[in-house]
Amino acid sequence: MIAGGVDLGSATAKAVIMKDGDVVGTCIAPSSGHPLELAKSVMATALEQAGVPSIDHLENVVSTGYGRLNIPFASENVSEITCHAKGAHWMIPTLRTVIDIGGQDCKVISISDEGAVREFAMNDRCAAGTGRFFEGIARGLGCGLEGISALENQGEEPCTITNQCSVFAESEVVTLVNEGTDIRNIISGINISVAKRLRAMARRVGVVEDVALSGGCSKNQGLVTALGEMLNVSVRDLPHDPQIAGAVGAALIAMERLRAEA
Amino acid sequence: MVETEHPGITRFKEQRGQFQDLHAFSQLSDDPSIRLAGDFAKLVAEYRDAIVRASEEGEPFVANNYCTAPELTTAMDLPAFTFWDGAYLHVDEESFTDGIDGTAAMGISTDLCTLLRSAIYLVENGLLPTPAATVGILSPCDGMPMLQQVVKHSKHWGHVPWFCPDPPYFRDDRGLDYFAHEVRKMAAFLEQATSRTLDLDRLKEVIDESNRQYLLWQEYNELKRAVPCPQGVALGGMKCAGIAQMVNPGMRAGTEWFQKLVDVTEEKVANGLGGTKQEKVRIYWFDIPAGLWAADFLTWLEEELGAVVVMDFSTLYPYSLIDTSDEKEIWRGLARRLYDSPMIRQGLGPADGFVNDLPRILKDYKIDVVAWPGHMGHKEAQATVGIVRETCRDLGVPFLEIGMDLFDGRYTMADQIKDRFSRFFQAVGIQ
Amino acid sequence: MQMESRIDSRAFEAFSEAVATLAGPALQRWKERGGKVVGFFCSMVPEEMFMAAGLLPFRMRATGSTGTELADAYLTRLNCSFPRNCLNLAFEGEFEFLDGLVGINSCDHIRRVYDNWKRQLPMKFLEFLVLPRQTGPDQIAYWAEEIRKLRKSLEQQFKVELSDDDLRRAIALGNETRRLQRRLYELRRQERPPITGAEALVAMVAGTAIPKEEYNELLGEFLDELGEREGIGTYRARLMITGGILDDPAWVRAIEDVGGLVVTDGTCFGTRLMWDDIDEKLEDPIEALARYYLADRPSCPRIVDTQERRSHFTTEMYREFKCDGIIGEQMMFCDQWNVENYLLASDLKEEGIPFLKVEREYITSGTGQLKTRVQAFIESMGK
Repeated sequence: MIAGGVDLGSATAKAVIMKDGDVVGTCIAPSSGHPLELAKSVMATALEQAGVPSIDHLENVVSTGYGRLNIPFASENVSEITCHAKGAHWMIPTLRTVIDIGGQDCKVISISDEGAVREFAMNDRCAAGTGRFFEGIARGLGCGLEGISALENQGEEPCTITNQCSVFAESEVVTLVNEGTDIRNIISGINISVAKRLRAMARRVGVVEDVALSGGCSKNQGLVTALGEMLNVSVRDLPHDPQIAGAVGAALIAMERLRAEA
Repeated sequence: MVETEHPGITRFKEQRGQFQDLHAFSQLSDDPSIRLAGDFAKLVAEYRDAIVRASEEGEPFVANNYCTAPELTTAMDLPAFTFWDGAYLHVDEESFTDGIDGTAAMGISTDLCTLLRSAIYLVENGLLPTPAATVGILSPCDGMPMLQQVVKHSKHWGHVPWFCPDPPYFRDDRGLDYFAHEVRKMAAFLEQATSRTLDLDRLKEVIDESNRQYLLWQEYNELKRAVPCPQGVALGGMKCAGIAQMVNPGMRAGTEWFQKLVDVTEEKVANGLGGTKQEKVRIYWFDIPAGLWAADFLTWLEEELGAVVVMDFSTLYPYSLIDTSDEKEIWRGLARRLYDSPMIRQGLGPADGFVNDLPRILKDYKIDVVAWPGHMGHKEAQATVGIVRETCRDLGVPFLEIGMDLFDGRYTMADQIKDRFSRFFQAVGIQ
Repeated sequence: MQMESRIDSRAFEAFSEAVATLAGPALQRWKERGGKVVGFFCSMVPEEMFMAAGLLPFRMRATGSTGTELADAYLTRLNCSFPRNCLNLAFEGEFEFLDGLVGINSCDHIRRVYDNWKRQLPMKFLEFLVLPRQTGPDQIAYWAEEIRKLRKSLEQQFKVELSDDDLRRAIALGNETRRLQRRLYELRRQERPPITGAEALVAMVAGTAIPKEEYNELLGEFLDELGEREGIGTYRARLMITGGILDDPAWVRAIEDVGGLVVTDGTCFGTRLMWDDIDEKLEDPIEALARYYLADRPSCPRIVDTQERRSHFTTEMYREFKCDGIIGEQMMFCDQWNVENYLLASDLKEEGIPFLKVEREYITSGTGQLKTRVQAFIESMGK
């Protein structure tokens, strides 16, 4: 059985090809103003990687993400909440809580034993704790996203970043830089403040282990460590690129539909 | 069988200890104003103690909100505590912010006033001692009646008899009579729920005592007109309102505290002493004073900029005598106290409540700047800022809009607030 | 998934026109005939008083507002977007068709519309009603007194006499509207309802902007037409919406676009307006109005002693309409619905009823997030 999933997020588009329960092709590309073209393009790259000649060779395709509606080559669209839960759970079957930190929003999903969504909480009110926020901070620090993420860059004496609004947090960071604060302490301070925000959201839904992060920001080792400490759990690493969890979930659902029809 | 202590009682015991320590420490000071602040802490310790003892002795006590005619509970020998008094009395900040964050985890959106959120957290987690009865207020804002509904709904307090007098809106006889009737109903409710009797003569005694307190408070306010202002925000309305409405309503100990306050302040005025070393700016803080976290920037304002908060909503309590010779006037008088309560005076009815006092206050207290904190939770105040701004413009007084959280210091940081004050004073040519 | 439901109907077209703008064609015709219009905030205002006085009661909306820059100096960004948008439109002169406006202390944000309007904007007849917060006999008496005052001021301003019979006639007319609206909702109990939630909302909102006799006639016509229509079968889940001021069909449409057919509600442009009738047997029509509007009809969190009843109303409605889940809408900065949704969520959890709280702004924009949430909600129900 061979199926595909495409996740059109705010910051990136992802495509995944799964064959007989394995991921055989993936592609991640930055979002553009042309979602349909982008969807086709990431799908094409993933297909190539999988050694599949064309999209017609896929038995089913499901779309997810903000851009999921109106993708003609998808037989249906499923919310990214359901897909992230499914994809992450497939990667780690003992997973019961997923914290997804995307480009523009972040969410916490509580998962059932079967990988279905029990409850979820979203922050889509503001940029705090999202990719956009980290981009702004990275600019202010001049260190790039990798700089914020690297474990060796997490200072031992993290600053307290108290501002809840990301815009103000950015100016708070600028002030600290101007005062000559050790950048590594700013970095760890930022990661801790985001972790606190995520913890508040997580508590709404109830944190049950195993816990993992998905989405682009989950590559931030500093954030992962801070969050683990905040939640007092051992945050698992997803065995695949955490950014593709949604697309994997979509592909899995595509396969479930096929089995149901059979 | 060992009965586990109610977590609310445990907390109250801890807080009682904290205030006792504060008092003990303050008495080491040479400054009579500091000792007086410490005396306040002693009264708060006793306020907590009254609940602890009632609980231990199996006697009834009441949970209330502010301005629920506390003279009634005093007259009925019912110890009482206010749901959110922890924040008001400056109990520890950390548990306060834990409470606020806790409500976010409970699914309550973060745009609700932090004071109310912390109260909801305490109620919903069984952290307040279970009273025999609870009375509340449904003013001045939307949030307060919602808190009362949480209390009514709460599993911890579901069985506790509940009564809220229905509030008036306009400052007229109809509103006053309506609310006076509601206060009467509240008294009857308390009698029934606690099996205590309200003796009218006793009530008159208590009210006479509270009249003395309010009269002394008025004297204190008049002393604050002096230049330099003899006391800063540390000995201001939060303590006065605390004593008169929460901690010692109609009680002799409270009156004695007020007398000392007047004596100490008179002495300062006689010697031309101010609350700050060099007074440069006199501020009308257009809300209740900010909570514990704000001590930092308020002290900074006084010390660095010579800016003293001379008047604020808590301190502003226009004195009106309750005529105890007439029974009808007793209830009307108690009702009138609602109209004059901090924040309720401004926010209960139409926007006029916010601006009517302004001309008089500006003149009497020689105010240089009106500072508008813009508390995030205070929705009806937010909707009145345009009217207040224009009134200040018409009255020719500079108006500073800050934008902060009165209780949660993480919303806008102290540094940002200091910055705004500095730049503002420079801009209007005060500094 | 798009739910196909194009309605080819004169009545529905009239409704749509009334809802798409503030002063729709029916209202304009009314004015051309010399009729007068009084705007009011909040469903608790007894509109029968205006009807009795021969006026068109207009429930305030801010349809078509494109911004709040003018209003933000008065009602800040920490205030609800509904009154902000209304005030902004007022500053732009969009409410000049009103011959009067009645404010009320329904909430902190709405009550200040009156205060700001009084100081900033012209209005020939500007009144304010004080609504109590509980439903006891003293409160009903107070509200009855407010309604009597309104009667006097309407008589004075519009040079009419409002007899008890006039009020009774208006009450009967209003009850007729409610009966017709209930019939509309009854049709949605079916497994294949003939209309979507968005369409039902159009029909309901229209009732707040069209003269009642005309509206009743159109609605009667519409009900007959609906009898012939094929029902909607392509939906994933049956949903109920609870909340406050929801007058925008586009918001409901977004929910229905992802497969959540809205079959009923507990909102103040919905069932709370009409699930019960005013008691026509009470001798004093003012008392009948006071009882109905304050105490007897389904309430909102503004009223503090009926939370249990509200919860019960919600669960009953959910079961009667065979819903799969409930969406609780909440305007940002609304303290009342914020805490109400918290209490409701806890009650619904005990009943095992799926509940999704959604925050919104008055003007619907960017429905992507709403659709994601609702779709996930539907999926989590296994639908």
